[in-house]
Amino acid sequence: MFEELKSLYMEKATLVGCEVVALQDLKEAAKYIKEKTEGPLLVPDSTLCTRFGLKSLLQDTGVTLHEGSFREAGHLPAGGVTFSNFAIGESGTIVLDSTPEEVRLATTIPEKYFVIVDPVTIVADGLGAVEAMTALHSGHEPRYVAYISGPSRTADIERVLTIGAHGPREVHVLLIEGISSDFMEN
Amino acid sequence: MNDMSFKENVEKALANTRLSETLHTFGDGYLVAREKAFAGLDFQAMREELGAIKDDVRVNRKALLAEFIKNAEAAGSTVFIAKDTKEANDYVASLARKKGAKTIAKSKSMVSEEAHFNRAMAAAGIESVETDLGEWILQLAGQRPSHLVMPAIHLVKEEVSALFSKDAGKTLAPEIKPLVEYSRKRLRDEYFRADIGLTGANFLVANTGGIGLVTNEGNARLCSTLPKVHVVFAGIHKLVRNMEDAIKITRLLPRNATAQLLTSYITWIRGAVPCDGGTKEQHIVLIDGGRSTLYESEACRDALRCIQCGACANVCPVYQTVGGHVFGSVYISAIGVILTAFYEGLEKAEPLVRACIGCRSCSAVCPVNIDLEEIILKLRHEVTEKYGMGTVKNVAFRAVMKNRNLFHTMIKAASRLQGPVTQKGSSPSERRVIRHLPMHFMEKDITGWRDLPAIAPRSFRDLFKTLEQKVKNPICTVGFFVGCGGDFVYPEVGVKMVKVLNRLGVKVVFPQGQNCCGIPALYSGDTETGKDLARQSVKAFCDVDVDYILSICPTCTMGVRRDFAERLKDEPEWAEKAKVIGAKVLDASAFLENVLHASEKLKAMNLQGSEAVTYHDSCHLKRGSGVFAEPRALLESAGYTVKEMANSDRCCGFGGTYSFLTHPQISKQITADKVENIRNTAVKTVAVDCPGCMMMIGGALGKQDETIRCVHTMELLADSFGV
Repeated sequence: MFEELKSLYMEKATLVGCEVVALQDLKEAAKYIKEKTEGPLLVPDSTLCTRFGLKSLLQDTGVTLHEGSFREAGHLPAGGVTFSNFAIGESGTIVLDSTPEEVRLATTIPEKYFVIVDPVTIVADGLGAVEAMTALHSGHEPRYVAYISGPSRTADIERVLTIGAHGPREVHVLLIEGISSDFMEN
Repeated sequence: MNDMSFKENVEKALANTRLSETLHTFGDGYLVAREKAFAGLDFQAMREELGAIKDDVRVNRKALLAEFIKNAEAAGSTVFIAKDTKEANDYVASLARKKGAKTIAKSKSMVSEEAHFNRAMAAAGIESVETDLGEWILQLAGQRPSHLVMPAIHLVKEEVSALFSKDAGKTLAPEIKPLVEYSRKRLRDEYFRADIGLTGANFLVANTGGIGLVTNEGNARLCSTLPKVHVVFAGIHKLVRNMEDAIKITRLLPRNATAQLLTSYITWIRGAVPCDGGTKEQHIVLIDGGRSTLYESEACRDALRCIQCGACANVCPVYQTVGGHVFGSVYISAIGVILTAFYEGLEKAEPLVRACIGCRSCSAVCPVNIDLEEIILKLRHEVTEKYGMGTVKNVAFRAVMKNRNLFHTMIKAASRLQGPVTQKGSSPSERRVIRHLPMHFMEKDITGWRDLPAIAPRSFRDLFKTLEQKVKNPICTVGFFVGCGGDFVYPEVGVKMVKVLNRLGVKVVFPQGQNCCGIPALYSGDTETGKDLARQSVKAFCDVDVDYILSICPTCTMGVRRDFAERLKDEPEWAEKAKVIGAKVLDASAFLENVLHASEKLKAMNLQGSEAVTYHDSCHLKRGSGVFAEPRALLESAGYTVKEMANSDRCCGFGGTYSFLTHPQISKQITADKVENIRNTAVKTVAVDCPGCMMMIGGALGKQDETIRCVHTMELLADSFGV
């Protein structure tokens, strides 16, 4: 089941225009990101970011991280990096609780977006997300949850599919096991 | 829009062949991609479920709305209920004044189109910038959307580059990628500059108090993130009960809209989220704007199930021919016809209501199971009550058709009077046709591009009296509902059907008291005549003892099966009888295949009709009765080879009086597509199961390619029997 969901996700995410790679650990992830961009990167604080020391792993590779408010990072910063809550196989989607503004900025304004997904969090289809989505919305706290399925796209001129309308023009999904099986954290 | 300006708009649109070509290419590609997107899923079951969810929301809407507001407020949102779009605009203008806000970055919202939001903001001294690429293009062009999902589908890259060049103050090349790149950089400044971000909402989730946005470009995410204030514009019908309902919508909406399994982004926002070190101010403006009235209309309320996928345009032959600026207002195509009537008034909707050809493609593709065509039909009744249906139809339906003897006498007279203009055909399938009308002024619209069918010298009802049915020990006896086309234009089809049935051991009875099914009157909105005609035929068939009533016209089948009881529902005694009659009626092909299992019998006979034929699916046969495999099975087993044409189930353009009286120019274009698809098969015989399609396709072929004949399936079966 795990392997099936993982390969379903990889297939579908690739179909919607993501670059999907399976990596050993976060060190490899940092290296991968450095190969794709010099930065500056928007890396928001989060539970998993702190737990795994993602920022220093990235800095070790020599890539630049943006310091200070992400609103000051320019209108089109080079890249953004986040973890994810879970993923949906059928549509190649990552689901990310983006309530902190830094998470939203890191996933909307950069040219390239890198997202780390633990394959154990992949559910089969949209209906498989109902439980987690309901749990994310328990209580009355403000909440901003994003489904992201590939890069920003448009077909508004002559119906020609064109990538990079307003959001990131590249989405790189880095599949790494052993990060977290908890759908409520990222 | 009055009738004259509608007609002018139609002519202008028809002159724009590029638009029609674009919409056809789009429509063709859409069908293929959509089928792939639904592979492995049960669309019918999914849409029934979603329809039921939206119905439950309708019933409980007041409680759900209160629940939504309570939860949204608990999460820090401010909720305002606007009774109309003006109140909604005023609310935003006043909010902007209070905040000292000068600019709004807005993402796509159909209800903001309905509100003419940008114009209202400009009047209040506020600059509102569209950030959806298509909407921004239209804003620069000063135009309105011509499609729900692809607003600028009517424009080409050269037009876009001219608009962008003007915006940039320098010349930009007409190349799509750099143009998208220009808008990416240019609009990025707007999000950062804007004081307020405005988005729509695809759903309002009652039990969370959150909204959902289904998008591809990412501009809604920027509009809801960068500005300090977020305003949500949403129609009250966007309510759903819970997250599960919303997720079920996301399973159907992208698949049906753009054939995507999911859009690039689905964004779920609840309450006042963090913003620039503080908290965002979020205002949700819930807009009624005629929706409550629509909810109260039993006949039309299903329209509020709509999730705005735009598919009803993608498959609509009228939309494909004239585009959304003609066939629509703020909302376009089938759903637009209905919403225009309720949101902008019946007068505005009148020409749109009449422009529907009744092919039912929209009803078949709708992801929330709205029978759009039936609702439009009901609206047409309203339109006719209010605005009349024109003198010709008044005389034809009210004075003549209701009186069966007068109707039939007049038809006989007409059959003699048309003598001077009728020609006996010379081509393969040729029947009696009218090549030219003597009145020159009618030539362009009516006979300039197709032959008109002529009235047969002897009607079926007369011929039947002389028909000898040699059936020893019949296996069953069926009644025959002949319909006007079968009775007066193509009586030979009925005769051949009787011969085929006799050969298979079935006897046919024909009650002479039957009259027109009433659909032509009903489709013109003349319900009274429809009722009267229904009573006449119900009575005629109550007098005979048969298990099945066969029809060779799928529109008649629908009329008898679906509409008789509905039309007579206020007269319980008649309604009861109509139900009994309605349950017995079916198309001749469906009877032969599904009741008699005729294809097995035909195969056993080893018939040698070696000819290749192509098959055209009549709208009301396929989408009215679900019959499409049956005639093909019959033809194949009778020895014919069926070679499929492209888009065999796309309307032929007939639509009854639509092609004769009201919209011949639109019909002409739709028929031209059909003829091209037929010619591309290189087959010389096109089979149909509908006299209306025979008139249209046969008539157009008569003018455009006389080597191809159009015949009824019953005729081909009779030919292979040699009867």
